[in-house]
Amino acid sequence: MTTTQVPTPARTAQTPPVKRPKRQREGAAWVFLSPWVLGACLLTLLPMAVSLYLSFTDYDLFNSPNWVGLRNYTQMFTEDPRYWRSVGATLTYVVIAVPLQLGLALVVALALKNMKRGRAFYRSAFYAPSLLGASMSVALVWRALFNEGGTVDNLFGTGGWIFKPGWALVTVALLTVWQFGAPMVIFLAGLQQIPGELYEAAEVDGASGWRQFLSITVPMLSPVIFFNLVLQTIQAFQVFTPAFAVSGGKGGPADSTLFYTLYLYDRGFVASHMGYASAMAWVLLIVIGAVTAVLFRTSRSWVFYASDTEGGVR
Amino acid sequence: MPGNRRRDRTRDRTCGSARDRTRDQARDRTRDETRGKARKPRRSRRAAVAAGLAVALCAALTACSGPDGSTSAGGKVVLRYTWWGNPDRAARTQAAVDLFEKKYPDVEVQTSFAGYDAYKQKLATQAAGGDAPDVMQLDYRMIDQYASGGVLLDLGTQQTVLKTGEFEPGLLATGKLNGKQYAVPQGRGTETVVYDPTQWKEAGLKPPADASAGGWTWDQWADAMRVLKEKTGKPGATDPGQSEDSFEVWLRGQGRSLYTKDHELGFTVDDLTRWWTFTDGLRREGVVSPAEQTTQLDGSVENTPLGRGKALSDMNWDAPASGYLALIPDGIALAPMPSGADGTPGQYFKPSMFMGVAADTGSPEQAARLIDFMLNDREAAAILGATRGIPVNESIREEIAPELKDFDKTIYAYQATLEGRLDTPPQAPPSGDSALQTTFQRDYDQVSYERMSPREAAQDYVTEAKAELRS
Repeated sequence: MTTTQVPTPARTAQTPPVKRPKRQREGAAWVFLSPWVLGACLLTLLPMAVSLYLSFTDYDLFNSPNWVGLRNYTQMFTEDPRYWRSVGATLTYVVIAVPLQLGLALVVALALKNMKRGRAFYRSAFYAPSLLGASMSVALVWRALFNEGGTVDNLFGTGGWIFKPGWALVTVALLTVWQFGAPMVIFLAGLQQIPGELYEAAEVDGASGWRQFLSITVPMLSPVIFFNLVLQTIQAFQVFTPAFAVSGGKGGPADSTLFYTLYLYDRGFVASHMGYASAMAWVLLIVIGAVTAVLFRTSRSWVFYASDTEGGVR
Repeated sequence: MPGNRRRDRTRDRTCGSARDRTRDQARDRTRDETRGKARKPRRSRRAAVAAGLAVALCAALTACSGPDGSTSAGGKVVLRYTWWGNPDRAARTQAAVDLFEKKYPDVEVQTSFAGYDAYKQKLATQAAGGDAPDVMQLDYRMIDQYASGGVLLDLGTQQTVLKTGEFEPGLLATGKLNGKQYAVPQGRGTETVVYDPTQWKEAGLKPPADASAGGWTWDQWADAMRVLKEKTGKPGATDPGQSEDSFEVWLRGQGRSLYTKDHELGFTVDDLTRWWTFTDGLRREGVVSPAEQTTQLDGSVENTPLGRGKALSDMNWDAPASGYLALIPDGIALAPMPSGADGTPGQYFKPSMFMGVAADTGSPEQAARLIDFMLNDREAAAILGATRGIPVNESIREEIAPELKDFDKTIYAYQATLEGRLDTPPQAPPSGDSALQTTFQRDYDQVSYERMSPREAAQDYVTEAKAELRS
């Protein structure tokens, strides 16, 4: 008891000087945070605010912006047929690419989980395309592969896929699916968290492998599936580079790969309608927000958190 | 058990207080250090770190907004000069630039070029970012947009260096906006049907009549394409439906125009529907290139069906047609554009391209001197020939005419057959036209891929064009 009380009077006597180091530490924290805080303010928040303002103007990059009210938004919805084609292309892409990519990632993760030797090697090997795939160069290689007279055409006589409206979108989607590395690694981590005794118990009860997958793996993995689904959906809505490179910046043929962001870029930087492009960006933000919200709502009925049933409540 | 627990707790408390003590001692030590002499250096060190960070940040922020273009390197003025065009134009331009650098050793010219579509995109981005090249090649469609946007320098301020006295006045005026000379034309061009005479001969076709012999109408042109298709199995031409330029020629042949004087659309949905029905019909017959070929057009001759050996003719401007020579070993010939049913010519002489100077260039005088050299120097003119069309400097045009070689001679002769037979050119297109040119091509994609009827696509285009021209 006495030992603990010895420093106490000293501490009370010296309270004011004790506070100072604390403030100094806070100051230091701000100094170290400043690159991030400044970056967030100047490079994210400020441009966002400006873009919101510009979306109500006719800004054309060269002349000072004039206020036009909601005209950009009404034009988008009523006078721009290509806008709707870009919306259609984007939705088709999201619906094709995301499930395929997640499915492939899950299959590969399951295969890797049961692998005894060489898992680290294969994990890296499968992850590599995700590192490479985001780059322009791989997208250009992709264009060359599926071009008229390209490798795929020569091997299978398919013709130039990138010039066929139905197939061009598939070509771009394949490039995305091939980059399944990031969700795969997350799936793998999730799979390793599932307690082995669940499978042992199921084994004892005589459950088949498929049954175990449906009744143990899927429910136990559902939070991870949900996480990947949300993340990949958000990313898919914003896809730009592969479509830009594969279609040579045009979103062709017949606007079949004219994804939302590609059309946004076209409006902003090629046609010099920055105000209109800003309006498009805000609509995209709202739509992605809404889709994410819907995913979260549905998640209540299919995502299973182990903590919900702790103590056998459910 | 209770004893044990109590002992544990005691130990815990002892441990805790021991930890407290060490922490307090440490704090005392710090306080001692902060007090007195030790304190100042510490604060100044922190200030130094903060200042260093601030400087680094400022550097990072300003790095991309520094003054552009002309910077002195080793006492030399550096000019950036960009253009679009085929490799032949690039080689000749580079040779002329080398000569310029020899004559003016204090100037270094950094050149770059690209195909038209890529160039258009890149220049728009550069200009928007305040990073336009010092000297740039411009299209008729770009002048209104860039001049009214303050991107271009008023070349009237450089009259002493850049002489325009010998230019054809009508052509020179096409580079003016609100009375100021923002760009100077580099050459005079017109559209043409480029064809492969050897293959035409093999198909048993006579070469089309030149304009002095009455030329040909759109119907006669279509019939010739049908013969080619029948005899050679290849489409006779690139599908002209995708080209706003060809549409304009067709429209003018009927006495109408792309735009009215007030910068509104000069045609209706019905007009465009008729044009696209005509070309789409030919495409369905296999007489002009299929959609997969047409969609690959990007403004370079290499990617035209004629250049790829997939068709036997193409509609293009006369100057860039020289690019086909490298691709078609047997050589090419030029025919006039088809005319209206009553023989009304649709094509016109147009300033083929312009040169302009960035308003924020660091060395306007040197930039103007480079333009003056490219357009008025005799040696440069001899090197450049007709790669950008027939020269606009009239005395140079007459001087070099007899010296013209090879394809330049062909272009000169072709333009001579049209001299005095064409209607006056339309006024400069509105600034939205540059974007509409692309929209036109993409909307026609919907027709040639059979996703829309000509009428549906025409309705879309007119809607988009009206919105574009309003803004």
